[in-house]
Amino acid sequence: MRSLNIAATGMLAQQLNVDVISNNISNMNTTGYKRQRAEFQDLLYQNLRRVGSASSEAGTIVPSGIQLGVGVKPASIYRITQQGSLSITNNPLDLAISGKGYFMVELPSGETAYTRAGTFQLSPDGEVVTADGYVVQPGISIPPDAIGISINATGEVSVNLDGQIADQVVGQIELATFPNAGGLDAIGQNLFLETTASGAAVTGTPGTAGYGSLEQGALEASNVDVVSEITNLITAQRAYEMNSRVIQASDEMMSSAAQLR
Amino acid sequence: MENTGYIALSRQLVLRQQMNVVANNLANMNTSGFKGERMLFSEYLNKTEDGKLLSFVQDLAVYRDLQQGPMTRSGNPLDLAISGEGYFKVETPGGERYTRRGSFTLDERGRIVTPEGHPVLTAGDAPITIPTDSNTISITRDGTVSTEDGEVGRLQVVGFEREQYLTRTENGLYDAGEEQPEAVQEPDIQQGMIERSNVQGVVEMTRLIETVRSYQSASKMTENEHERQRKAIDKLVSA
Repeated sequence: MRSLNIAATGMLAQQLNVDVISNNISNMNTTGYKRQRAEFQDLLYQNLRRVGSASSEAGTIVPSGIQLGVGVKPASIYRITQQGSLSITNNPLDLAISGKGYFMVELPSGETAYTRAGTFQLSPDGEVVTADGYVVQPGISIPPDAIGISINATGEVSVNLDGQIADQVVGQIELATFPNAGGLDAIGQNLFLETTASGAAVTGTPGTAGYGSLEQGALEASNVDVVSEITNLITAQRAYEMNSRVIQASDEMMSSAAQLR
Repeated sequence: MENTGYIALSRQLVLRQQMNVVANNLANMNTSGFKGERMLFSEYLNKTEDGKLLSFVQDLAVYRDLQQGPMTRSGNPLDLAISGEGYFKVETPGGERYTRRGSFTLDERGRIVTPEGHPVLTAGDAPITIPTDSNTISITRDGTVSTEDGEVGRLQVVGFEREQYLTRTENGLYDAGEEQPEAVQEPDIQQGMIERSNVQGVVEMTRLIETVRSYQSASKMTENEHERQRKAIDKLVSA
């Protein structure tokens, strides 16, 4: 009986759906997190009686044949790169991107990773680093005697030194954009890597055409909408239950066939 | 005179098929753009030697329920739902295909593609490319795609005179075969929405129960028939 296997594909798909939803809910307070959605598609069809085959010598044809589907499979889990809301922290090194773009971060391996979580700090050498200590690209050093750091919407970093009136520019933060940001490879720690699906990174100055602007002292909250996640969870759970009922029912049919004498 | 058994068997065979269809519908309950399926049975008459007609059942067709699925908001600018009739045109290595599953993404070149990477086409059969430096993508009801720098293309929505003639292929795509697509005059595309599967859980569950019970009663009938024949043989032998 195909229905047993078909229902099993249905249960597996819903299980994956619940996995994705639970990951969204657990990251509802993760800075810069983008919610994900599992997308499903039907599996191949078996033609038991072809559509359009002749049903008589007079040339009448079958309007819809017998096409049996064999279940469902996950198509993709894609990120919804909708802007998260900004929350004010007043920490001078917290940066939020309002619009498109990713901060560039150098991994210990020398690779460049991309992130939207702008919770930056200073390293012992005065460099601007992420919460994990990875250096933000291009590297910016803050002099130890700086008493104030200001970062404007276009990413210009300037410091106020003790005893000086004019601010001194010490660096420029750049953003990277991708033809397909949904194709980035998430590696955890809020970081992403470039892939062939995302296309090559294009770097530019924040606030210019095609790049978002920066907001100092704010963080981009996760874009997870709890209410819709919970409703999705309920739908997934019900669908799971119904598929398990199909297995039960198929089993009943098989057992009544087996009991025939 | 084994006809009783065969008639019951014909019923059981089609019920198994029905079960497969119900299972496939339920498995695709959360597949966006999925259209539920129904089975159509037909009577098959067979004349016996004494001129009586015996009625068997056979599966005639599986047809799609073309009702509109419910819409849900997803917030993704490239999730498109067609309200009312129509299909998006997609270019695949196997030729043009049609789909109502409008959860599109961009590929590495910035083209609008399906999750499998097949480009979605305009009326001129060209893919639509979104420039990398654009911030927003807006798609109007008639399928015009534009960014803040202006229009970049118009998605084609096509309809078919005989929709049931489309063949299902995997991934929510339909093969038109001999059918000629015609442009829908006034398409209604909803941006940021997804058309969910039109499978209704409750309806499928009742169909499921009905299938199982019918199957069991057909089994029961075969069993009773067997019993009757056994008794007949016993009686005849002992006589």
